[in-house]
Amino acid sequence: MINFILNTQTPLVDAIYHLLGFDGLIGTIISAFIAAFLIGNIMLISAGIAGPWAKRKITAVFTDRIAVNRLGPFGLLIIVADAIRLLAKELIVPEGVDRPSWDIAPLILPFSALLGFAVIPMGGPLQLADPETGLVFVFAVASIASIGVVIGGYSSNNKFSMLGGLRAVAMNIAYEIPLIVTAASVVLFAGSLRLSEIVSAQADPLIIIAGVAIPSWFAFVNPFAFILFLVANLAEIGRNPFDIPEAPTELVAGYVTEYSSVYFVLFFLGEFLHVFLGGAIIATLFLGGPAAPISSLSFIPGFIWFLLKIWSVFLFTQWMRAAIPRVRIDQMIEIGWKGLLALSFINLIFTAVLVGVIA
Amino acid sequence: MNPWFAIGMLSFVALLIPLGMILISSLLRPTVPIAGKRAAYESGEIPTSSTHFRFDIQYYMVALLFVVFDIETIFIFPWALIYRDVAAYDLFWALVPMLIFIAVLFVGLIWAWSTGAIQWIVSEAISETEVSP
Repeated sequence: MINFILNTQTPLVDAIYHLLGFDGLIGTIISAFIAAFLIGNIMLISAGIAGPWAKRKITAVFTDRIAVNRLGPFGLLIIVADAIRLLAKELIVPEGVDRPSWDIAPLILPFSALLGFAVIPMGGPLQLADPETGLVFVFAVASIASIGVVIGGYSSNNKFSMLGGLRAVAMNIAYEIPLIVTAASVVLFAGSLRLSEIVSAQADPLIIIAGVAIPSWFAFVNPFAFILFLVANLAEIGRNPFDIPEAPTELVAGYVTEYSSVYFVLFFLGEFLHVFLGGAIIATLFLGGPAAPISSLSFIPGFIWFLLKIWSVFLFTQWMRAAIPRVRIDQMIEIGWKGLLALSFINLIFTAVLVGVIA
Repeated sequence: MNPWFAIGMLSFVALLIPLGMILISSLLRPTVPIAGKRAAYESGEIPTSSTHFRFDIQYYMVALLFVVFDIETIFIFPWALIYRDVAAYDLFWALVPMLIFIAVLFVGLIWAWSTGAIQWIVSEAISETEVSP
C-alpha cells in the first residue's frame, strides 16, 4: 500500500481517484480536494517542525547551547506547546490600522507559499499537478508574498513596519531578476518549463568515477548557476545575510512589529513555508528533484530524498544565519543590482553558448 | 484531468488552512482591553507624528528599474524554451538576436549605474563614522 502511494508514477489526484474507486465529476472534485489537502499538510508539518523546534535546536548547536529539551523526547512536544501558546494569545489591534488590509496581509503569505507547492514533484505520485508552465507558475505565486508584506507594512500604522515593508520590496525585486534569469539558464539545458521534465532531464549519468555514476544534476553541470541561485534565494526568502526587512536590531521586527497572536503565527508560518518552497525549487532545478544521488540507493522512495533535499536547504539557511552578519541596505542594493544581476546574465550567455556548442 | 483544476483546489485549501487557524485562535484567545495597550509600538515612547511619512525616492528608482528587467525576463523564457532545438541546426540565428537584446539592456543598466539610480545614497552621518577597511 505504502509502496503503491510512494512509487507509482501517476499524478497524485489520479492516484487517489483510482485508489478510492471514484468515478464522475464529484469523485474528481473530492480526490482533488484530498490531494490538495495532503500536499498542504505535508508542507505545514515540515514548517511546524522547522519553526518551533528544528530552528532552535540548530541555532543552539551553532552557538554551543542546549535548546528546548523539557517537553517530550528531544523537546519535540514544544511544537504542540508553542502552537497552543501562540494561538491562545490576545490579538491586539493597534490604533489606526487599516482594518480590512491589516487582516488580509497575514493570509497572503502562507497562501502564496502553499500554492507554490502545487507543481513541485515530490517523488512518485506526490505531485498535485504538472502543467506545461510549471516553473513560471512557481515563481509567479511565490512573488505574491511581496504584496502581503507591503500591505502588512503599510496598513500597520507603525514606522518600523512601514520601513520593513519598503525594504522587503526593494530587496525582493532586486533579487528576483537574478533568480529568474538563473532559472532560465536551467531551462536552456532542459528545454522545458514542465517541472517533471526538468527532473527527468537530470537523470542521465554525467561522468562515472570509480564505477559510481554521478547524475547530471544541474548543480554538477553548472555549479556557478547553482551558487548564484542559492544566494539569490537567500535574499528572496529574507534570511541572513539578507534579513534587512526584519533586522531585529534596527527595525524591532520589521513588517510584523504590530502583529500578535494568530496573525504573527501566520506571518511566520508563511516565512517558513517560503524557505521550504525555495528549497523545493532548488531541489527540482538543481538537485534532481526526488531522484536518488546514486542509482544503487534508488530503493529509498523519492519522497524521502525530496524531504532530505529541502531540509538540507533549510539547514543551509540556518547555517548562514549563524555564520554571516547582516548586510546594510546600500550594500544589499549594490550586491543585487551590480553583482548578482550582471553575473546572472553572464551565466545565461555562457550557458547558451555551451548548450549551443553541445547541441 | 486538467492540472489547473487541482491547482485551483489547492488555492482553496491554502486559504482554508490560515482561516481555520484564525477560527481556532478566536475561540481560544482572551480579550482584555486596557488603556494604552493599543498604541503603536515605538520602543515604549508615545507615538509621534504620522506613519505615512515621505520616504526616499530611491525606492521608486529601484522599482522602475525592476519593471524593465522583469519584462525582459518574460522575453527570455520563450527563447530559453526553444533555444536547444533551434541551436541544433542554426546556432547563429538562435544566439545572436538574444545577445543583441541583452546587450541593449546592459547598456541601460550601465547608464542607470552611471547616473546613480542604483547607488544607494548613504547619509553623511553614516559615511563619516564608517571605518575604511
